[in-house]
Amino acid sequence: MTTPFPRKKIIFLVRLAVIITTSYFILFSPSASIESKTYGYIFIAVYLLTNLIVAHIPEKYFYDDKLFYGLVLSDSILLPAGIYFSGYVGSDLYLMYFFIVLLTTMGSRFKYLMINIIIFSVIYGWLLYKNGYLAGPAALSYLIRIPFIIVIAIFFGYLVTTRLKDKDRRLGEARERYEQIVQATDVLMCIVDNDGKFLFANQKLVKFYGYKDENSFLGLTISRIYNGDETKVEKFLRYVRSVYQNNDMVQYESYDKNHGMWFANTLSPIRDPSTRDVIAVCIISKDITDRIEKEKKLTDTVELLRATRDQLIQKDKMAALGRMASGIAHEIRNPLEIIYMGMDYLENNLPDDKPDMSESIEKIFNAVNRADNIIKNILAFSRQTVSKITQLPLNPLLDNILALGKPKLEKSGVSIRREYSDKSLEVAGDHTMLEQVFLNLINNAADAMKDCEEKILTVRAYKQLVAEIGYKTGYRRVDFFSVGDEMVVVEISDTGKGIPEETLSKIFEPFYTTKPANEGTGLGLSLAHMIMERLSGTIDVESLENQGTTFFVRLQPKSKIIDTKEV
Amino acid sequence: MTRNIKVLTIDDEADFCFFVTKNLTQEGMFDVIIATSGKEGIELAKNEKPDIILLDLVMPDMPGEDVAAALKEHAATANIPILFITALATNDDTGDSKENKIGNNYILPKPVRTKKLIETILNILRKPLP
Repeated sequence: MTTPFPRKKIIFLVRLAVIITTSYFILFSPSASIESKTYGYIFIAVYLLTNLIVAHIPEKYFYDDKLFYGLVLSDSILLPAGIYFSGYVGSDLYLMYFFIVLLTTMGSRFKYLMINIIIFSVIYGWLLYKNGYLAGPAALSYLIRIPFIIVIAIFFGYLVTTRLKDKDRRLGEARERYEQIVQATDVLMCIVDNDGKFLFANQKLVKFYGYKDENSFLGLTISRIYNGDETKVEKFLRYVRSVYQNNDMVQYESYDKNHGMWFANTLSPIRDPSTRDVIAVCIISKDITDRIEKEKKLTDTVELLRATRDQLIQKDKMAALGRMASGIAHEIRNPLEIIYMGMDYLENNLPDDKPDMSESIEKIFNAVNRADNIIKNILAFSRQTVSKITQLPLNPLLDNILALGKPKLEKSGVSIRREYSDKSLEVAGDHTMLEQVFLNLINNAADAMKDCEEKILTVRAYKQLVAEIGYKTGYRRVDFFSVGDEMVVVEISDTGKGIPEETLSKIFEPFYTTKPANEGTGLGLSLAHMIMERLSGTIDVESLENQGTTFFVRLQPKSKIIDTKEV
Repeated sequence: MTRNIKVLTIDDEADFCFFVTKNLTQEGMFDVIIATSGKEGIELAKNEKPDIILLDLVMPDMPGEDVAAALKEHAATANIPILFITALATNDDTGDSKENKIGNNYILPKPVRTKKLIETILNILRKPLP
């Protein structure tokens, strides 16, 4: 049973009070002789000395019951000695004794109090007798002192003891209650210091980390518990220290890998009652795994809904674009037709003596053709509304496309190389769309090699594991490929004049072309890029001037989970 | 002397009709009559019985397909070949295009030059080129 009183302080003060009061009585008593006064001074000096010694004993010894009661007992003997030597046996100096009783009752041990009373009473009674106070006229009044001391001391002691006992009991009960709450609760609770050392942990926490009981757990530091997980320890200590610094509560969520559980942690400061400084941090961790899982499911569902909705909107947009494009095409082509017919008429009816005349008419026809080509391509651009994504065998598809492009390639003297890594490569795509992309790339390759000596077109097809983050590749939901996914890569490589670095980023822009105006519209690569987006794939390019260009077309090996197969 | 080929042009674009008339007439083989609306065209076809009808697909009062269907209904006009001249054709075979919907192979995309137009008309009518 520990008492909350700072024992050393009280002992020192009480003894000091004894000294002061005693000194007063001794010094100012009229009937004393010089001799007894001298003894009086000696007594006071000795007592003061003992008090000084007491002052230098470290606090913790005062909680050793033997020392404490030994001290009190020696005081109970010293006092009668002092009374005797200063010749004040008959006086009321014995009342000083009750200060000492006060000391004793601090210990709340009624047993010791009784011993103390009896010893003092015996010594004092003996002193009274020795000095002859117990015989003679005033004998009765002196005799009464003994029971007086005993009774008052017992009464006083009993009063204080029971009050202390009461307080103790209530404290004990309150503590018992809190103990029960802390141990019975559903949450993990602990108290740590600035270094992450556990000062307290409830049963649930102790068991959670696989320890048998609180005793084997206390004193361990957090780094021992989170064995080896440095980042977790760092994070934890950071939060603990922030509570120390800000003197305020902090909350965070954490995941325990070993148990596969999520926790909501609340860190509150425990403050020193007098200074209000933070002396420890109390951590309460609540299991929120359920909630997190439900949240995750909800988020996933929302994402799926969002993606589906976006696809539907996209479809709608494309359909609207398709209609708009048709409208535009129609509105522009009608006037173009009139220009054609008009030019025909003028050609037939204007005098052709001027040589520039027919040349000009030719130029006008070419211009109209160009305009019409653009319209054609835009219509094609916007018409990709309905296509089905299915699982396609890749090699036959590539062979087909090469066969389609063969006439033009052979005419240009281009030799074709095929490098298919695997006979059974499959991709998720639409035949027409893929044909469009690859044909365009093959034609571009042929054009790039037009004026070159070496004309080799290489087509490679292989599987690849995604290892790094890039365009549409990564961990985000909008990415087509996640790190660790498998993708199918088709490379179309030529040995042509290459693409200069400055223009490399522009080649996928609509209408960007390096061909003369009547040869290309600049929509091919832009269309290819758009098709790849639709197929959840990517198209990339690498090129070295005067050495060659390679296009990398990355495709999904299987159609994506999102059910709407129509894109 | 074989008579001229009677061509009926149904197109809401008046200037197109103007030039078709001018250019075909200048060839010397054709007589051209024009209508700028579907309804007008059907009436004219019934009355004039042309040898071939040039038909636009997108017209405000009646789309070309409906005009063609109406012409097929009337005995007088059911056998007259129809050549669709339209800005919507793209020469590719996406399954959804209007060409397939019409079920008729005679389609010329705009813009088209007179020479090609005349060739196509003669082809359809199995007449030899001049």
